[in-house]
Amino acid sequence: MSATVRVRSLVLSLHPPEATIRRSVVPLVTLAASVALLSGCAATPEPSSTAAASGSGTDTASTGYPLTVDNCGTEVTFTQAPQKVVTIKSTTLETLLALGLGDHVVGSAFTDGPVPDDQADAAAAITSISDFVPGQEATLALEPDLVYAGWESNLTAEGAGDRATLAGLGVNSYVAPSACKEEAYKPDPLTFDDVFSEIEEVGAIFDVSDRAAELVAEQEKDLAAVTKNESGLTALWYSSGTDTPYVGAGIGAPEMMMEAAGLENIAADVHDTWSALGWESIVADDPDVIVLIDATWNTAASKIATLEANPATAELTAVKEKHYVTVPFPAGEAGVRNVDAVSSITDQLETLGL
Amino acid sequence: MTKAGMTTVQQAREAEVVKTSRSLPAAVWAVILSVLLAASIVVAVTIGPAGLTAGDVWASILAHLGFGDPTLSPLRDGIVWQLRMPRVLTAAAVGAGLALAGAIMQAVTRNPLADPYLLGLSSGASVGAVIVLVLGVSIALPFAAFAGALVALGFTLVLAGAAGRITPTRTVLAGLAVSSVFGAVTSLIIFWSATGDSYREILNWLLGSLAGAEWPAVAISVGALLLVGGPLLASARTLDAFAFGDASAAALGVNVDRTRWLLLGGTALLTGAMVSVSGSIGFIGLVLPHAVRLLTGPGHRALLPLSALAGAIFLIWADTAARTLFDPRELPVGIITALVGGPVFAVLILRSRRIS
Repeated sequence: MSATVRVRSLVLSLHPPEATIRRSVVPLVTLAASVALLSGCAATPEPSSTAAASGSGTDTASTGYPLTVDNCGTEVTFTQAPQKVVTIKSTTLETLLALGLGDHVVGSAFTDGPVPDDQADAAAAITSISDFVPGQEATLALEPDLVYAGWESNLTAEGAGDRATLAGLGVNSYVAPSACKEEAYKPDPLTFDDVFSEIEEVGAIFDVSDRAAELVAEQEKDLAAVTKNESGLTALWYSSGTDTPYVGAGIGAPEMMMEAAGLENIAADVHDTWSALGWESIVADDPDVIVLIDATWNTAASKIATLEANPATAELTAVKEKHYVTVPFPAGEAGVRNVDAVSSITDQLETLGL
Repeated sequence: MTKAGMTTVQQAREAEVVKTSRSLPAAVWAVILSVLLAASIVVAVTIGPAGLTAGDVWASILAHLGFGDPTLSPLRDGIVWQLRMPRVLTAAAVGAGLALAGAIMQAVTRNPLADPYLLGLSSGASVGAVIVLVLGVSIALPFAAFAGALVALGFTLVLAGAAGRITPTRTVLAGLAVSSVFGAVTSLIIFWSATGDSYREILNWLLGSLAGAEWPAVAISVGALLLVGGPLLASARTLDAFAFGDASAAALGVNVDRTRWLLLGGTALLTGAMVSVSGSIGFIGLVLPHAVRLLTGPGHRALLPLSALAGAIFLIWADTAARTLFDPRELPVGIITALVGGPVFAVLILRSRRIS
């Protein structure tokens, strides 16, 4: 609660700065610049002045610590690569697993569904501390040096701990930049570049920039290989809710993926990431396709049942023709699964003969 | 009239003496509750999801007080000293403050149902706080909450007064009306301004939660308890006079209007400060004074301090339950106080019927 009651200045540095500034063999100023470029737009990760990139004649870029990033308006300084991470939500866990950092995760929480098959083995070794947002004491009991959260609201006193409180205890926090809510930080609209720059920033934080670059290159290649649907279909991204559905709106991950798949979002004019949208306007727009988000707590099947039970929505073209496309919940939020989700959507559309 | 008033007061005083002498004297209760409060603080800080041993927890606390060295890692030490300790102390101060405010309001309005909730104070304070939290108006949170509480209380009393003489029933009805409107304003502000899942955070706050209580919260709540609650404790005699009606109080030399406003203003300030650190936690102000009255009788010299002590103990344990029952999740403590407070109140109603 009470934001002003918290002392923002109380940043007890329990971790003494272990500034391991690596001396570069060659003053690779140009490489440093290219790393900064690689790690996304200039607005996101800004390595502190002491940060230096070094390379010993190879093309691997290592991170110079301390590394300071401006994360949703909170400055976070890493004195070394985080060793013990608590992840909250699926996207954060999956990003770390995709970067081969599973052994750094001491606990995961509030996952939205199973990890993709290729991460299943790595994920099996990770302790799940809570199916929901864990309390701050339960989080801190694992003695993490980083809490990596999918939503800003995971990091509150009622949740895993307020960011200032965590910082005061010497625990860094990092929120998926795509989920920043502050006007100046909220991606508007979210693009694949934003998604990739998160991967690069996390790569830099964990000193695995080379792996991040590989992963991004792979994702860019896969994204380029997607055959966009050319039929000019309109679509509804149905995330949750029954009385008033919660749908993908104009500037978030759903819009980004629908656009990449060639679908026209009927809620594109709503200037938000996700938004509540009344059934009346959905029925009025009569989308050709409905993208159903499949979560364990709110399955695609239950959404189909809702759509078919309501006399108004039962008459929608997409419902009558069963033009449903399914996306697993974790893939519906900005993260490493978005590219796969886009190609899965186009594949499913093709299977439907659309 | 005056003479009659005096007689009633004296008779009641005598009756009270007879009644309290049947049970333990108030001083004994004060000692018992003080010991229980100290014990509650000592024990509650050792309980929590992190599974620290009592020895380690106390080594940590003593180290911060300047005795010995902590045996815990810096992070676990932080759990004890930055999270648990301030939280337990805030719970104690908020519980004491709310119970005290409730006891005073019940006396001033001569209404057994009066509490910060019922007369609109909590919802007024919530509006003030939500304006600061959600709309980002830059006033200090406790002052905004206090201003909200005062405005709501003002509306309640003006409305009750406009309908005729300020009677207990009118006060409650007016309080209900004001509470609903202020509650709606709070919901409107939240609904309008909160984006995405920030609803959850605000909901927690509206239900009452001590999860964010750190040292500054201790300073506000303990400070308000000492600065406002202290003088209010001294009003016990006046409150005894109020118990028999405005006329009797006036006959006893109390400036009724001025005193009523002063006391209600004080409770508004106290409630505002508490709501600003904890959100609106219900039932404490209503239930605990009634429970204490069963132990000591209606005399306010015993009732006020004992209600405060009982409130402190109650909220410490309610909050301990809130943070540990569903480990690793936390509940807003207001859910616990209502879940426990409702049935307790029902029992009190049944018992008081049997006694009378």
